[in-house]
Amino acid sequence: MILTGHRIATGVSAGDITIDPFIPEYVEPNSYRVTLGSRLLDCATDMLDARSVPPMAPRVLADVGRVLEPGRFYLGETGEILGSTRFASTLYATRSLASIGMWLHFSAPLGHTGAVIRWTLEIRVAQRIVVYPGMIIGKIAFWHTQGKPVRYRGRYQDSTTVRRSALRDDRLFHRARTR
Amino acid sequence: MILTGHEITSEIAHRRIVIRPFLPENVNPNSYNFRVGNTLRVYRDQVIDPRCRPDTELVTMPDGGYILQAHRLYLASTLEVMGSDYYAPTFAARSSVARLGLFINLSASLGDIGYLGQWTLQLFPATNLRIYPGMEIGQIMWWKPLGEIKLYDGKYQGSSGPCATRIRHDFVAR
Repeated sequence: MILTGHRIATGVSAGDITIDPFIPEYVEPNSYRVTLGSRLLDCATDMLDARSVPPMAPRVLADVGRVLEPGRFYLGETGEILGSTRFASTLYATRSLASIGMWLHFSAPLGHTGAVIRWTLEIRVAQRIVVYPGMIIGKIAFWHTQGKPVRYRGRYQDSTTVRRSALRDDRLFHRARTR
Repeated sequence: MILTGHEITSEIAHRRIVIRPFLPENVNPNSYNFRVGNTLRVYRDQVIDPRCRPDTELVTMPDGGYILQAHRLYLASTLEVMGSDYYAPTFAARSSVARLGLFINLSASLGDIGYLGQWTLQLFPATNLRIYPGMEIGQIMWWKPLGEIKLYDGKYQGSSGPCATRIRHDFVAR
């Protein structure tokens, strides 16, 4: 079951949902509005390897905005710390953002129970688009779970800013390096 | 409701969810990490006509990795056979995989109750990317449905390996 906006607000008050900063006007019927944070990573190469550290160039998103280019790939961050110790969550672009041709994630919408973090966004654009820090870009929804809860203790726990992929830390690649 | 990792493990034990092979260490708080098989299927047609059988080529990924070209579509499949007659599945990229610029589905994340087979993935990289067979590429989630269940009996039932589109059958049926 998906939580209503009212239940999300109640969860923030009760402490089982974290949305920081929380703006009551951003509560939607069954989600909460998410904004774009001020840091970006710009993929600095045309070739990545799943078992290597991806070179990503840091960019600060100033108030004057920044033009994103089609064909490029960026990581961004949410303006908020988001998550829940009780519910799972999923992230969506707003209709408005999608309607100017921007992706917020690349087939990875899920936030695990217990991951209370500044979310990293995977960004690409269908055409040149100017983005600004603080602009409303997405909606987060929360879901009731069935079964004994398990808390996220993964590699992105405690993220306070945009984080590049740490896939190279997977067991498979670790084994290959130590062989 | 989405199942917790603990509940996924428990429902596998009760044979209400199938994930084969199943590795307990791949269980997450709300999902299970699946691996990618070693074959890819690519379309050879310059133009794809959904009414016709597509011309495709199978590619085997070597253990040393295979470079996906940016902005090109590759079909891959899960190593695991997965399905449930009781819960609705959705799947997603692992965050670490998406952060390398790789889509593993193209707005097609919902499966059906009753499907059992390997899952075909649509790999679409935003940059050239070397991937490896057997890497944990995605995650499957399970959702409790509301209402009477009628099991999937569709054209992809029992798939194995990366399965090309069968969209042409949708036209024949009319």
